[in-house]
Amino acid sequence: MLIVQGLVAGYGRVKVLHGISLEVAEGQLVTLIGSNGAGKTTTLRALSGMIKPEAGKITLAGADITGLPSFQITKRGLAHSPEGRRVFANLPVADNLLLGAFTRLTGSRPKGDVLRDRDRMYELFPRLAERRAQYAGTLSGGEQQMLAMARALMLNPQVLLLDEPSMGLAPKLVEEVFVIIARLKRERVTMLLVEQFAAAALDVADFGYVMENGRLSVSGPAAALKTDPAVRAAYLGAAH
Amino acid sequence: MQILAQLIVSGIAVGMIYGVIAFGYQLTFATSKTLNFGQGEALMLGSLVGWSLVAYTGYLIMLPVVLAFGLLQGAVVERLGVRQAIKTKSEAGWIMATIALGIIFRNLAENIWGRDALKFPSPLPEAPLSFMGVNVLPMELVIVVGALAMMLAVEVFNRRSIYGRAFVATAGDRDAAGLVGVNTSLVITFSYAMSSMAAAFAGVLIAPVTLTGASMGGVLGLKGFAVAIIGGLSSGFGVVVGGLILGITENLTGFYLSTGYKDVPGLLLLLLVLSLKPSGLFGKAAIKKV
Repeated sequence: MLIVQGLVAGYGRVKVLHGISLEVAEGQLVTLIGSNGAGKTTTLRALSGMIKPEAGKITLAGADITGLPSFQITKRGLAHSPEGRRVFANLPVADNLLLGAFTRLTGSRPKGDVLRDRDRMYELFPRLAERRAQYAGTLSGGEQQMLAMARALMLNPQVLLLDEPSMGLAPKLVEEVFVIIARLKRERVTMLLVEQFAAAALDVADFGYVMENGRLSVSGPAAALKTDPAVRAAYLGAAH
Repeated sequence: MQILAQLIVSGIAVGMIYGVIAFGYQLTFATSKTLNFGQGEALMLGSLVGWSLVAYTGYLIMLPVVLAFGLLQGAVVERLGVRQAIKTKSEAGWIMATIALGIIFRNLAENIWGRDALKFPSPLPEAPLSFMGVNVLPMELVIVVGALAMMLAVEVFNRRSIYGRAFVATAGDRDAAGLVGVNTSLVITFSYAMSSMAAAFAGVLIAPVTLTGASMGGVLGLKGFAVAIIGGLSSGFGVVVGGLILGITENLTGFYLSTGYKDVPGLLLLLLVLSLKPSGLFGKAAIKKV
């Protein structure tokens, strides 16, 4: 569904990604783990067009999307729940969700029933239902995270990029977020998940990539990575 | 007492015009953190285009044509003057570019319509109505109603339509708006178009009360800017109050002090607001939750 070949990207003259190749098959949950500053967030930003790749090729459902502006990539069905949540603080929760379906309401993508999908989001994230009339800026961090995920899901995306959905959340909320990710996986939503909680991410994922200094070092089925001694030592906090 | 009431009432109409111009500044500032310093020239062009048309079409048919002209003129300003500056993240490029375009528009207008002030025919009777001894021109009532109606229409558009929400979203977080599929550079062009449309509308509202002419824009654009700062660049309500404050204090100083000092209190107020509450009387200081 999503194929990345030799992706090189960065900010200005500072290169962060030095040739990333990865693949997310339809219905799969793939996770990208690694330490702070390894380039995980930059990878997602390059995939969704927030920064322009310098080299490499990105293919979404067979179509080349390399170098397109983010609004066009979204139109083709790639949703991105970004780092830092980035909800529209100056709009109510209900409007944030509607905007998630912006391209379905205006463009040539199948419209479907946006309002029905929004009700589904309220069912998936009951806290958002309670807060639907509230401005998103007044939500707690956990609620904003739920909203960022729900907004991305409103696209009915071909692929969903999730950037650190657990960041800054209380342990109980982290658990809740992972329960939702597992549920989305059962519903066969194709996802690429970036996480610092490597253990939790590998528990729920099908396949994993380990990122180090802008390069992918190890990859394999999530279950195999979890037992890999090097991965365990570096990212899973296993005793030596 | 009656004189005071008269001065206040006359200040309201001109204050609303300042408010509409300031509202235009807010629109582009919301989406792109840039301003069209040729806003006064947009007003002047709208007014003069209206002047040329109104003899043939009448006021009501002239109005939509002028609004469409304003939209187009604003889009041109954004494409020529602002887009490149935003793309290269230039700090001051758009300031110079919009001022330059304003000067060009003024020159153009001087060549087409001449340098003299022109009389704009009023669509309504020019005899004032009298309420308890206070005189009000019918056109002044139209100015107040028209200005409020326009701002309200934009607010309803922003809150009710999906495109309006995309506008608000772009104002809130441009990157995130791109991520949900909003073409944010088009939204910025659109905000310039709307901003100039508001100015052109103000131009044909005020022209029957004052006069029109190629040089009418400079002072009005500057005062609208002062009102935008006084009221707050982020507060829709603030520009109405700011406009009224400026319009009324101008009239009061003009009468009780001297018309020579008419412009001073507004600018003093501007300096005061900038030093005490830089976000404007009603502006919200940016709240960021991390």
